[in-house]
Amino acid sequence: MARTYLFIPGNVPRMLQNADVFEADALIIDLEDAIATYEKDEARELTAQFLRAHRPQGVEVYVRINAEEPLFSKDMKALAPLEIDGVVLPKTTLSSLKAYEAYQDQFDAKLPLIGLIETPEAFFELLQIAKFSLVKGLILGAEDLSAATGMHRDENGQELLFCRSKLLLAAKAAGIRAIDTPWTTLEEASLSLDIQSAKRLGFDGKCAIHPNQVPSINDAFFPTEEELRKARRIVKRHEETNSMRFSLDGKMVDKPVVEKAKALLESAEAYRFKRGKGQ
Amino acid sequence: MKHERLGELLDGLDLRDGMCVSFHHHLRNGDKTLNLVMQALHERGLKELHLMASALFPVHKPILPLIKDGTIADITTNYMNGPIAECLSNHGLKGSLTMQTHGGRARSIVEGDNVIDVAFIAAPAVDKAKNASGVHGKNACGSLGYAIEDSLYAKRKVLVTDNLVDTLEDPQIQGDAIDDVLLVKTLGDAEGIMSGTLKITKDPLGLKIAREALRLLQALDVFEDGVSFQSGAGGISLAITKGFNDIMRERGLKASFYSGGITRYHVDALEGGLVDKLYDVQCFDDAAIESLKKNANHHAISASNYANPNNANRVIKDLDVVILGASEIDTDFNVNVTTDSYGTIIGGSGGHSDTAEDAKLSVIVSPLLKARTPLIRERVRTITTPGKHIDCLITERGIAINPKRRDLLEKLKDTRLPLFSIEELMAKAHAFTGKPKVSHPGDKIGVVESRHGSTLDNLYKKGD
Repeated sequence: MARTYLFIPGNVPRMLQNADVFEADALIIDLEDAIATYEKDEARELTAQFLRAHRPQGVEVYVRINAEEPLFSKDMKALAPLEIDGVVLPKTTLSSLKAYEAYQDQFDAKLPLIGLIETPEAFFELLQIAKFSLVKGLILGAEDLSAATGMHRDENGQELLFCRSKLLLAAKAAGIRAIDTPWTTLEEASLSLDIQSAKRLGFDGKCAIHPNQVPSINDAFFPTEEELRKARRIVKRHEETNSMRFSLDGKMVDKPVVEKAKALLESAEAYRFKRGKGQ
Repeated sequence: MKHERLGELLDGLDLRDGMCVSFHHHLRNGDKTLNLVMQALHERGLKELHLMASALFPVHKPILPLIKDGTIADITTNYMNGPIAECLSNHGLKGSLTMQTHGGRARSIVEGDNVIDVAFIAAPAVDKAKNASGVHGKNACGSLGYAIEDSLYAKRKVLVTDNLVDTLEDPQIQGDAIDDVLLVKTLGDAEGIMSGTLKITKDPLGLKIAREALRLLQALDVFEDGVSFQSGAGGISLAITKGFNDIMRERGLKASFYSGGITRYHVDALEGGLVDKLYDVQCFDDAAIESLKKNANHHAISASNYANPNNANRVIKDLDVVILGASEIDTDFNVNVTTDSYGTIIGGSGGHSDTAEDAKLSVIVSPLLKARTPLIRERVRTITTPGKHIDCLITERGIAINPKRRDLLEKLKDTRLPLFSIEELMAKAHAFTGKPKVSHPGDKIGVVESRHGSTLDNLYKKGD
């Protein structure tokens, strides 16, 4: 499961060309907020051409589309023939999801999406959004949410605790990814605090708005040695007993715990050489 | 003998056409000494001089007319950039250009291949006994390593200073070898002397390359007590040096020495107990100068003790790892840091070729694409360092190991490092840029000389 979702502006050739070397597990090519209105067509065309010719390998690729017409239809039409893992739908609400689904139905398509939760309204229908059929993850969009609510963010994240918790619980209840909001400065100490806030709550990953944020996020979401040791012991005992239910250190282990341990070891192996700081 | 006027000094020298005069480059782009002396020699009508400067920078632009009118016929140097480099690339010079290495220059002086008639040695501090140091004075530059052989082997040795003091406790140049001292108003411009505050790159591609380099070094089990390490002052090199320090610290290890050009990141390692000694042939920043002044384990060394291939005590013969850059590299791993792909001179070996040959592991770090030009070519325009001395290439899109290093390939075979052949990396670049056009060289203007004195490659005028 991806740890780092790196935003790449869809209108900067050098960033697109190098998007796959920054060691993010997922890319979000942005056609929305990073692109000025008069550059929307150019960015869409560049992104489509780039993905046709040089679709990055070994990384999940999403495109943040524009939610409003006529840009929504133009974006969706351009992306339809491309090999991407899904779109990121800005300002996701239940009604925008239904519109998205209706558009997909016209073409008998099933392109998944990650819902960007960044309006106060969305928090009142979060569980329904999370359980919507095409939704594979939720991203907390704290910047737009701050603008809408008057919230002031700091690196301690107390002001976000409720929103983070609610989004996380909805995502976990629906069995989809919970992805934390980006931190908007490059200063490492505050980034680290913000990452830890998300990691402690149980988020699966976090967005990055600059490639230099990727190593810190990758490091933080890489399992700790203690987590790896425990997972190895669970899997070993499972293999020895050929059972999904057994006792380890006086505690009962059952199927979800075994599967979680396996997933953790698999992701650790996959990301071992994409850890943050060269270690 | 002490002189307060250049004319008076020159009156006492055996000046003649065709003579060889030498300078060092520790004052870098703040140097005023070379221009001052060469202009005076020009005014005396001297012709066909051999200028032997360890490096030439943009600040030396005022000598361009002397190259054009034949006052300077031949140039021997280890590195050059700026207007002189561009002029020579376009028009050549009356005689010949010889690009040496730092170790090769020292060897050629010690062994008499190059006989210096007069060495003009800019010295930030000189005492009454004609001892000199680079760590004191308003124009302090730190180590005077590249001037030591000049001070010992030139027929006439002149210290040029703007700072006469009574005594120097720990001189780098010994006064008993010196013939004259010239007092000038100022040696140079302090801002140009220091390279500024050297900073780790913030470029995401550069940082990716640095991370990959550290992963490679770990996979090759480089990190152990007693390891020795050298890297440059570029942004990627500094990131690697800092990362190297971090790993040494986390593992509780201590290196034996760091060598070459010294920066604050090397000093951090010394002061943090991560390395026993710094062997400093040039200081790149204030922190390095201060450390050289006060820390007994920070040693200024001469170019010969640094890299002369025939000096059995040279520091780099014990070097484990060196991190180097490249302007171009070819599929035989030959590296060019002397010219660009069109033949314009943009640098030179410095210690590149010396350290690549001597170090147990030589690692090239560079972006795969430079301003849409691929790093890897089928043939480099100019060979600075032969491919047989290059072990690894690290780019943002993968790592290539020289096939000659089967031991490294064997050690890395079970890792998940992104290993490719160098041809595969070249193809990755061509997927973005297409195959680049090869430019055709113009007339020969000089040679690249190996550290052992043989001709490694020819230099030609810029091609079409």
